[in-house]
Amino acid sequence: MDLIKIENFSFSYPEAKKSALSDININFEEGSFNIICGTSGCGKSTLLRQLKTVLTPNGNKKGEIYFKGKPLSQIDERNQSSKIGYVMQNPDNQIVTDKVWHELAFGLESLGFSTSSIRLRVAEMASYFGIQQWFYRNVTELSGGQKQLLNLASIMAMHPDVLILDEPTSQLDPIAASDFLETIKKINRDLGTTVIMTEHRLEDIFPYATKIIVIDNGKKLIEGNPREAGEELRRLKHKMFLALPAPMQIASYVESDEKSPLTVRDGRNYISDIVTRKNYSVKEDMIREYLDKKGDSGLKIFDENSETSKEKPVLEMKEVWFRYGREYPDVVKGLNLSINRGEIYCLLGGNGTGKSTTLSLLSRINVPYRGKIFINGKDIRKYRDKELFTSFLGVVPQNPQSLFVKKTVELELFEMLGGPKERLNDDYNLSLDKKEIIENIAKVTRIEGLLSQHPYDLSGGEQQRLALAKILLLRPKILLMDEPTKGLDSFFKDEFAGILQTLKKHGVTIFMISHDIEFCARYADRCGMFFDGNLVTQNNPTDFFSGNSFYTTTANRMARSFFPKAVTVKDVIKCLKKEM
Amino acid sequence: MSEKRNVDEFLDLWFDDKKIEQYKMPIPENPMVSKLSKLFRVLKTDAQDEIFVSIEDYYSRQETSKKLTKRTIVTLIILLLMSPLTIAFGILFMGDRKYTFIGIMLMFYAIIPFFMGFESRKPQTRELIVIAVLSAIAVLGRTAFIMVPMFKPILAIIIISGVTFGPEAGFLVGAVSMFISNFFFGQGPWTPWQMFSAGIIGFVAGVLFRKGLLKRTRVSLCLFGFLAAIFIYGGIMNPAALIMYTSHITIEGIIGIYISGIPVDLAHATSVVIFLWLISKGMIEKLERIKKKYGLLV
Amino acid sequence: MEDNFSSYHPVISFFFFLFVICVSMFLMHPVFLAISFFSAFSYNLILYGIKKTLKNNLLFILPMMIIIALANPMFNHYGVTVITYLPTGNPVTLETIIYGIAMATMFCEVLLWFACYNEVMTSDKFIYLFGKIMPSISLMISMTLRFVPMLRNHMRVIANGQKCIGRDTSNGKTTDKIKNGVKKVSILTTWALENAIDRADSMRSRGYGLKGRTAFSIYRFDKRDRAILIVMILLAITFFVGNSTGNCYVSYDPIVKVKGIPLDLYSCITFLSYLTFCMLPVIVDLYDKYKWKALRNNINKKENRGYRLWT
Repeated sequence: MDLIKIENFSFSYPEAKKSALSDININFEEGSFNIICGTSGCGKSTLLRQLKTVLTPNGNKKGEIYFKGKPLSQIDERNQSSKIGYVMQNPDNQIVTDKVWHELAFGLESLGFSTSSIRLRVAEMASYFGIQQWFYRNVTELSGGQKQLLNLASIMAMHPDVLILDEPTSQLDPIAASDFLETIKKINRDLGTTVIMTEHRLEDIFPYATKIIVIDNGKKLIEGNPREAGEELRRLKHKMFLALPAPMQIASYVESDEKSPLTVRDGRNYISDIVTRKNYSVKEDMIREYLDKKGDSGLKIFDENSETSKEKPVLEMKEVWFRYGREYPDVVKGLNLSINRGEIYCLLGGNGTGKSTTLSLLSRINVPYRGKIFINGKDIRKYRDKELFTSFLGVVPQNPQSLFVKKTVELELFEMLGGPKERLNDDYNLSLDKKEIIENIAKVTRIEGLLSQHPYDLSGGEQQRLALAKILLLRPKILLMDEPTKGLDSFFKDEFAGILQTLKKHGVTIFMISHDIEFCARYADRCGMFFDGNLVTQNNPTDFFSGNSFYTTTANRMARSFFPKAVTVKDVIKCLKKEM
Repeated sequence: MSEKRNVDEFLDLWFDDKKIEQYKMPIPENPMVSKLSKLFRVLKTDAQDEIFVSIEDYYSRQETSKKLTKRTIVTLIILLLMSPLTIAFGILFMGDRKYTFIGIMLMFYAIIPFFMGFESRKPQTRELIVIAVLSAIAVLGRTAFIMVPMFKPILAIIIISGVTFGPEAGFLVGAVSMFISNFFFGQGPWTPWQMFSAGIIGFVAGVLFRKGLLKRTRVSLCLFGFLAAIFIYGGIMNPAALIMYTSHITIEGIIGIYISGIPVDLAHATSVVIFLWLISKGMIEKLERIKKKYGLLV
Repeated sequence: MEDNFSSYHPVISFFFFLFVICVSMFLMHPVFLAISFFSAFSYNLILYGIKKTLKNNLLFILPMMIIIALANPMFNHYGVTVITYLPTGNPVTLETIIYGIAMATMFCEVLLWFACYNEVMTSDKFIYLFGKIMPSISLMISMTLRFVPMLRNHMRVIANGQKCIGRDTSNGKTTDKIKNGVKKVSILTTWALENAIDRADSMRSRGYGLKGRTAFSIYRFDKRDRAILIVMILLAITFFVGNSTGNCYVSYDPIVKVKGIPLDLYSCITFLSYLTFCMLPVIVDLYDKYKWKALRNNINKKENRGYRLWT
């Protein structure tokens, strides 16, 4: 039976010329697990918001949405509140009260439940989600993953029939994200709650879905089960193809009579089948279409005696020890690290291993109690602030919003140069045209079309690039970044990587800490693994990831028994081609 | 001097210390510039930012918001009626401690109608959140300057809230922020006094703005802030201290406490003026955008 | 330190503090003052421990007391028993000195009670109590309490961000410091307000604003609470009745007149009821500690017996 049915639905924002959604027909079955994908700004969030009247933005609507056979507009707010659960992207912004128990009860309070029935439901939820241990805590003490779980639990307490999730894991680290997605699966499996979600971390969840819907430019492009959707995307040569799980991508380049795999397990069998039987061919046109265009590193040959390694490292840490206070444990323990000019260095590792602390040491927010840090061969402590942060270090904060102060993007950029007037000041002492500088920097960071917008009206990826642009105006030779790809979808990531590559070409060194294995595998020159306050191993991505067996890319996990050195999708395809 | 460069050429130049060297210019520094005039320059540069221009025109045109709401008038009547009754009761029955009694009861009478009015109106969700955020910022302002006594931005934020979101929001931000910050500083018999005086400043700011007596110019706001800090906040808190620990209120005593309070009040008022001067325009502009974005019609 | 009295229902704690603080503030009888002071001090000892209580009091309350006690005879000149004359020619009287001391004690004990109040009546108890009467305001208070630590965290991130673009001014010029501080506040305001819209949506989507909202709490009013409430009410009635008969009248102007001393039956009952009321938290806590000790002894004994049986 259809739980929600969208019929000939169109929607446009008040002052927009183009409609945000046009002529959409979808039905969501009861107990199904639906994923809506599409590029940023394709209208998928707008669509989700239409499914709950209080969240619907103003605008012109056409067509009808039915919930359990009744038009949504005829269902009162009370029923909608309890029956349609909605989880948003940012875990922090959704929490209202200061205590965990109060947050769990919030929805039930609004619905007017009695204290005793709230107590029962809250107890149930706390047990189901494993919240007992932090039941009495202040919400500020929770981690991001716990906060999002709390949001989910407080909605599940109202016993909704359908759970709508708008990119719920984009702000979480990979482990918390996959835990969260597992919980969603569990809810769908155990309770039969219908799930409708948008998500860009498709790896974990794509194979599990019963229905995939691809939205493009406000229109429904594809509707079907994961395999069909994947094949359709390939056929249409749609950009979303690059966001698919690696096994599906790899299989798409290959012409064979095997069924295309969805999971890593299937993928392994698939590869072993086709390689042993050699009954496949690689699609040259696909390779030309996707792989040769982008500049990912893939199967590079690393020359130990290459030019870069001979030069003195631009950034060097020698036996660095750090702790936050005398009575606290050491966070960074005797760390040695050196980064060469013009390379992209990614530091990977789990949460709480001291990666962010290392970054704070490099950016001189914290000072080690033992050991030394050198920048361009000079002790970091000997630089004056101005000297260090303009023309040497550029630190891009994890949350770009912590930099925004003006009302348009353009003024935001001028702010770094000391205002829009062409006069010299402490922040600007060049005879270059300020306008020209900003024009070029905006071009590099691809925000040139957004100059008149308010920074907060930009999307997450655009805000990230604006923050980068602001930092670039300081002429940094070394960029330090803390999880720059967090919350970005695969297109924004590609765009971002393109920017990094341009900068690298002009001699900028890039050091970033990241959880994003796939991104690092594709674009890094060297990767380092951080654990327990120290560097465990570092190498070029190919050797780095092929040396790990768990902490590695999906493509590598899938193909490693045949092509141990193949790390990215591209590598696997190249190997398959050679093997043929 | 600026021949057209493409992005690559520009980046080559931008990141190369040697190439960019030829474009560097010494910043003209006038040794005669004293610290004070430098401060003035700092204040002025901010003022010249063209982002502030249109607000005043925009608001002078809004005629409708100048009327006082009914609830505001009712609140005022309650205030005027309850006070004499309480005073009479205090004098007749409380003997020695009448001043403390009357004072505290008056504060409660003054605060409760505001809260009740707000409750009965069933405020919008967004309104609640905006007031809560503003109160939190005010609280943070009070705790951030804990080391500098009397130098607190809290009143400035309250006045700005009153001017942007109306008298009621002004009162709530004032009262709530004082109440909450006392969770960190410690509650005491002073809490109701502080809540009332901070709240009433926000309220008066809102009323005066609606009546057109208070403009959203820096000078106007600063003047109001100065007077409010001395006459409203000081005017209430000084005798409050006296009432709390003496029973025999004499003219001399009152004059004495006011005189002894002057330096503190002046310091406080100066800090309010400084904060208002610096943050009022930017804050008001930001709040206006929020108002438009959230569809909050106050 | 978690004491037993704080684990009672918020209504109990609130009623208790309302009563003791009001009585302490408005009644100036020396016996009342002494009782209240003693009880407040002992409760402070239980809540904060000896070291912290003494530190708080010696640092802040003691000097305050001295100032108040001295200020009264300096500014007031009523009374009949003149001790000496001030240089201004005004008399210093015994009555004003005694009243000054009484005033100082009163002020000090109110502060001591508030110190206990701060520890016992946490914000969530307060929100619970007023959630039913003032739902919007109490929700607003709850939200503000959530925002304060969150914004403080944001502020740290902002400060680090500014530092990393070379705008650190912690050891710069004052003008730069001010300018930078204002910028940080400005960033914080936008950050907090722009993201608040999500929160409003999340509230609406969970049905906030529907009619008939209830207030949930984790507090339960059980038998123990009922018992202590009855005791409290009985004590309070006794106290008020005793007080209204005029047995505890006191006047400091023009001469010091104290009724009820030496003790007669009525004043004795009034004082006792007040003492018991004020000491309730201390009694409850000590009794609880005693019970635990007894229980543990008992368990130990049983264990020993069992041990012997098994071996």
